[in-house]
Amino acid sequence: MMMGDQFRKVEQYSPKSSPRGARSPVVSRQDSSGTLKTTILLGKNPSIVPSGPFYLLKEPPGESDLTGATNLMAYYGLEHSYSKFSGKKLKEQLSSFLPSLPGVIDSPGQQDNSSLRSVIDKPPIGGKDILPLTSVQLDGFRLHPGPLPEQYRYANQAPIKKHKNKHKKHKHKEGGPPSQETPVSEVGPDTHEKKHKKQKRHDDDKERKKRKKEKKRKKQKHSPEHTGGGMTPSQHGSN
Amino acid sequence: MASSLENLESQLELFAENVRQIHIIVSDFQPQSQNVLNQKLQALVHGLQEVDKLKSQVQDVHVPLEVFDYIDQGRNPQLYTKDCIEKALAKNEQVKGKIDSFRKFKANMLLELSKTFPNELNKYRALRGDE
Repeated sequence: MMMGDQFRKVEQYSPKSSPRGARSPVVSRQDSSGTLKTTILLGKNPSIVPSGPFYLLKEPPGESDLTGATNLMAYYGLEHSYSKFSGKKLKEQLSSFLPSLPGVIDSPGQQDNSSLRSVIDKPPIGGKDILPLTSVQLDGFRLHPGPLPEQYRYANQAPIKKHKNKHKKHKHKEGGPPSQETPVSEVGPDTHEKKHKKQKRHDDDKERKKRKKEKKRKKQKHSPEHTGGGMTPSQHGSN
Repeated sequence: MASSLENLESQLELFAENVRQIHIIVSDFQPQSQNVLNQKLQALVHGLQEVDKLKSQVQDVHVPLEVFDYIDQGRNPQLYTKDCIEKALAKNEQVKGKIDSFRKFKANMLLELSKTFPNELNKYRALRGDE
């Protein structure tokens, strides 16, 4: 559109009728910042002549009230928000933001397939009206009396992740840190050291086994009888 | 808009409370609780209907997707706001530093050029006007 307008204007200002002779017409531009001041000469030897005393002198950009040098927090009235968020120490957990929400919400959403990202990536099929349940549909919710099976009972609570420690101990048992291993080639005075280190390792293993047994006994005391198929609860009697 | 968000929040809280009560009923179910359970389930559906009605009131509310990542990680979403503000402040300081550096550079350059090329700089100053 701009180009079309300029062409039309050029036709009005043809070189034959132009008051400026063979020189290009003066076309006012809205924003001339960053443009080079040049003059286009038409005629036998058309050329572009930079005008002004300095080569490649461009027009400076327009002055703006709002630049990066302005304190944007003050400009947009966010100082109170900034002091509010930076002053007090915000807790990391989601449960501190939603304290009244029941259940465990601090665990990652991917674990129990309850992530918001999955809702965005795979939105549920909607468009249908939400209707109350009919009597036939409600019959499907007839439950058997009694407590929930073990595997569903503590669904609200996070399972204890103790396998990390077990792996660490297991690794420690098998290989041991390389610095403690004595080289096979050393014989004589080092055999005494070897025996001493072996005894130490033996003692350490015994202690670890004792600690494990004590922990198991404590678990059995506090937890209900488990069949061996479900999660071990960390708390009891919460509901 | 604030009232529509408050309405939605209170509706969701009621819904969550209803779900919690259903969980309590179901965790140790008795036959005489069947009617109560049926009522609670109907209330659940009603709650969903109410939330669905409120969606038109909050259509203008835009939530950045990065907040969902925070929530999915079990983190406080206010930390996202805090991180955004801190990043904006850091960027503001960075840009201000650049602007101030360029200003000082320009002033020094004009000073040195005026010593070396006084005539040319006078012409330049005449062209530029008030700078």
